[in-house]
Amino acid sequence: MKVPAAFRSTKGIAGVIVVVAVLAVAVFAPLLIPADWATRMDMRARLSPPTWAHPLGTDQLGRDLMFRVLLGAQTSIFIASAAVLMSIVIGLPLGLVSGYVGRTTDNVLMRLVDTLLSFPALLLALTISAILGPNLQNTIIAIGIAFTPFLARIIRGEALRVAQMPYVEAARTAGNSDLRLITLHILPNIMPAVIVQSTISLAFAILAEAGLSFLGLGTQPPDASWGLMIQASRDYLDRAPWTALVPGTAVAVTVLGLNMFGDALRDALDPRARGAA
Amino acid sequence: MSYILNRVFSMMLTLFLISAITFAVTNILPGDVAMMIMGTQSNPEALAGLRETLGLNDPLLVQYGRWVGGMLTGDWGSSLVFKEPIAPLLLQKMTASGLLVLFSMAIALTCAIPLGVWAAVHANRWQDTAASSTAMLGVSLPDFFWGIMLILLFARGLGWLPSSGFVDPGDDLGAAVRHALLPSLALGLGLMAHLTRMTRATMTGILKQEFIRVARAKGLNESTVVWRYGLANAVGPVMTVAGLQVGYLFGSIIVIESLFNYTGMGWLTYQALLNRDIPLIQASVFVIAAVVMLANLIVDLLYAVVDPRIRLS
Repeated sequence: MKVPAAFRSTKGIAGVIVVVAVLAVAVFAPLLIPADWATRMDMRARLSPPTWAHPLGTDQLGRDLMFRVLLGAQTSIFIASAAVLMSIVIGLPLGLVSGYVGRTTDNVLMRLVDTLLSFPALLLALTISAILGPNLQNTIIAIGIAFTPFLARIIRGEALRVAQMPYVEAARTAGNSDLRLITLHILPNIMPAVIVQSTISLAFAILAEAGLSFLGLGTQPPDASWGLMIQASRDYLDRAPWTALVPGTAVAVTVLGLNMFGDALRDALDPRARGAA
Repeated sequence: MSYILNRVFSMMLTLFLISAITFAVTNILPGDVAMMIMGTQSNPEALAGLRETLGLNDPLLVQYGRWVGGMLTGDWGSSLVFKEPIAPLLLQKMTASGLLVLFSMAIALTCAIPLGVWAAVHANRWQDTAASSTAMLGVSLPDFFWGIMLILLFARGLGWLPSSGFVDPGDDLGAAVRHALLPSLALGLGLMAHLTRMTRATMTGILKQEFIRVARAKGLNESTVVWRYGLANAVGPVMTVAGLQVGYLFGSIIVIESLFNYTGMGWLTYQALLNRDIPLIQASVFVIAAVVMLANLIVDLLYAVVDPRIRLS
């Protein structure tokens, strides 16, 4: 198979490398690194700057930041992926039905979605998490719900566009049922948009998880996520800025990689958008 | 005229839906206001009594009606944490946050538009790569991370600006601006990155169009072509995105105000959420959503002013 031009650009290559690397860390780090390496406390080396013994320094309890950030990858990536998956599972049928059926159904659903879009996603996620009680599972639910309206809106637009295509009309004339039209003719053609949007949402979900955990309304200890590490660093910024820089850089690199990957994917899958930033 | 009426009616409907969603979201939990006032260890009879007094035993629809009725008549209830009436509290905090929103929007727009245009004019050359990469980095960093960097640099390192707190502009304008500067920058940098990407994308598209070639062929100088012909057509879309970012801004403001201890709307909402102060959560979530909706409505209406081709209908 020929590699699309978009993935031969510097941005595309860098995106692929970063995404693959981060995924590899998320999957393999917990298998290769014993869990207690991230929780073992070295009391003589609390808030230690990077040294040979601790290449990325240690936190306020003398825990090794390199191992914490490597093992934290799994939590952050897992939460973000599960949340995006959840928003697709809810948003996809909603958007498809709205765009395909149209008329009153579309009006009612989209009025609801537009109203939900008035709520800043982070505010919605924070509220849901605070109300349900913050923990790993509820962080996923909170971000998943908060991201759904946006996804539903995009899928609805795509479904609407595809549903008016002549080949869909032809398939309908041929006597295909609505369900068959949606699943066999419309769904496959909106998948590129869904995939691109999911990649971008994944980047936003990682930022959202970090934000929620930073405010103490996301992942809770002993689960370790990047946002939680940044939150823990707040009281030690003066003496040990690396406690914030290490997890912050991990978030930044991951999100940057996903954004570059998403951009390249969009250029590859949607030629109309080529050249757009 | 009928267009305006239509929009007003539609706005009312949206406000009603916003209130319904807010109420629904805050009522999905079994724990209630009575429990929060008296604590989980309180005696069940006293709890039941308080529930009765507060009307928490009424059907949800009745409770919702009472809440909306109260808001319409100016009775927004009292905060459980701050023990103060909610309406004046919100008004005061909204003003504080308004300052941040205006500052960060101003910072973002004044930097993003020239930067985006510059990148588009030099599309696919080093200038574009530099601007686009910076913008890409900007959208990839969490804004509280920007905030931490700014605190380390300007407050702890150089000691130029205070790292936390809020000063009322009415008391001391200079101090108010100094306290608002770092949080506004933290909010504005991410926003600037988004808007730079948007401006560049829009301008790249516009500069490829026929009328730009005609303008160049007429011998107009390049800056007139880019700024008067090109940018004039990009302002609408960029403004729409800026309007949509108001929602994003009001999400970030919760994190940033908490980081900087800037006691505005975001800080207040965070305190309400942390302490599960349900009446205050309801009121602040409603107000934020309403403000975001209004901001987008205003942008929609302004669009017609900047772009005469759009007829309101």
